[in-house]
Amino acid sequence: MAKILTGGVGKSEVAQTIGELALDGLEVTVSNDMDAAMKLRARQADYFLGTCHTGAGASLGVLVGLMGRDACHTFGRSVPTEETVTALLQEGKRVFGFATDQIDVVAPLMARAIANRTA
Amino acid sequence: MSTTLAAASAGLDFTTAQKLLVIALCALTAYISHMALAVFNDGARPFMLDFIHGRTTRNAMTAVAFGLSAGFIFGLGAPMALSSGVLNPWLVFLPTDILGILSPKKWLAPILGAAWGAVVVFGLSGANRVAHELPVDFLTAMQQMSTPILFLFTLFPVLAITKQFGRLRGGIAGVVELAMVLLTMKLWPDLFAGALAMAAGVLMLIGFAVVRDLKQRRADRQAGVAEPVPDADDPMASLFSASAARLRKHLPVFMVLGAGLAVLGQMHIFGGGEATSFLIAKGQYAEAAQVDLYRVFGFIPLIATTALASGAYGIAGFTLVAPLGYLMPNPWVAAVVGALVFAGEVLALSYIGKWLGKLPSVRDSSEHLRNAISNTLDLAILFGSLMAANAMGGGLGILIVGGLFLLNEAMGRVVVRMAAAPAAVLVGGILLNVLYWLDLFTPVKVA
Repeated sequence: MAKILTGGVGKSEVAQTIGELALDGLEVTVSNDMDAAMKLRARQADYFLGTCHTGAGASLGVLVGLMGRDACHTFGRSVPTEETVTALLQEGKRVFGFATDQIDVVAPLMARAIANRTA
Repeated sequence: MSTTLAAASAGLDFTTAQKLLVIALCALTAYISHMALAVFNDGARPFMLDFIHGRTTRNAMTAVAFGLSAGFIFGLGAPMALSSGVLNPWLVFLPTDILGILSPKKWLAPILGAAWGAVVVFGLSGANRVAHELPVDFLTAMQQMSTPILFLFTLFPVLAITKQFGRLRGGIAGVVELAMVLLTMKLWPDLFAGALAMAAGVLMLIGFAVVRDLKQRRADRQAGVAEPVPDADDPMASLFSASAARLRKHLPVFMVLGAGLAVLGQMHIFGGGEATSFLIAKGQYAEAAQVDLYRVFGFIPLIATTALASGAYGIAGFTLVAPLGYLMPNPWVAAVVGALVFAGEVLALSYIGKWLGKLPSVRDSSEHLRNAISNTLDLAILFGSLMAANAMGGGLGILIVGGLFLLNEAMGRVVVRMAAAPAAVLVGGILLNVLYWLDLFTPVKVA
């Protein structure tokens, strides 16, 4: 079971989008950057998906500072391929940022990649 | 005032003192961004930590800042400034973020910043004058955007309440706001109709959030849940206090910045928020201050936490100084107030960080507020852009501007959605002028 926390401006939309996919082995909870940082550090959650207008900074908030840049990745406003996402997960990235106007594409992509990994 | 708002005829003619202030302030903000003390773009701030510690190169950081800001400069900042005749932070401070970080030498940063300030005050008024003299005057047409922006912006607290506290409370807030708008129109026709409604909405949102947090804390206490005791080596606490200490060390620079921003606001050539430029252009300073003040609640938690996490503050601080500046009687008082406000903000940062840690619903509210702001603006800017398209080119204008917007959507939003429509109006305006020269289009008379 992979626990995903969402945060940032579009946190409820991301949670809703992923929830509607009803993928096995995923649990998605609306959170925020400060609580998520604590939970990720304590291994009470596995991944953080943050959103903001630029998809880069505010979406990640305090996570870059607390988790270290190595654990974080931002797609900015670009839409990644499935291979890219899988490779990033393989590298051990746990915190992802993307833009609010790309939620409909990026959120399902992330959810499927994470579900495939844990399956 | 009626239910439509035409912005005052756009001027962008600055006095010498105003030109000098803009140039000096741009020099200062570029220097501050070079020193990684503050950046305007909230998105760039989290990356500043690595930059401050030398883990990111200047070139890589410049690429980040440019990538995050370009769309907002050309899509939001420039069209807003051209159509309202009032400067805004996206046009003025996003480029100085980039120029400051880009500059390889400390002394070069303020020179590049000043050069940008000069481009803004001289270039923009030139572009403005030329554009107004074209056969298809798309800048006058763009003033159509002010009505939907101002009126729909009024609703942002209602959307935030609905998202965070459900349909019932959202519905109640909607009815209250509508009643306030009607009341304001009836009783105080000279006031901007949305001002009181927005105040009521924001107060309701904060009220709901505080009540929820207090209830939660009481329930936790009754259930015997111990309040988390921050231990000495709490990573968040140590990161936050190091950042706060770094910013406090540079307090004098921030005070000068605060003074400059407040004076800029006092001169009424600058609007700090999305909806404000049009109110400033119409001379409704009290209303502009109110609108910007309510917006502040959506940004304090974001700016405080990203500043504490990264060690780089916001160029506009908590965005409080500009609205205070609008209300100041003269530049001298504005400068003193601005400096004191910035000093207070920087000194209070660590307390605000601790306090926010205890109020999760209030932090949630601020995210919902920012989301609601962009939802209202998405619709308002799109609708306003189509109105502008209609004003400058009738059906053909709507076809071109709406078509460009839809094309951008279909291509996976190459341009940020909020900026796509105004950018389409600019492109459409130029295209219509070309069509006029080719004798393929007869201009529609812009009222």
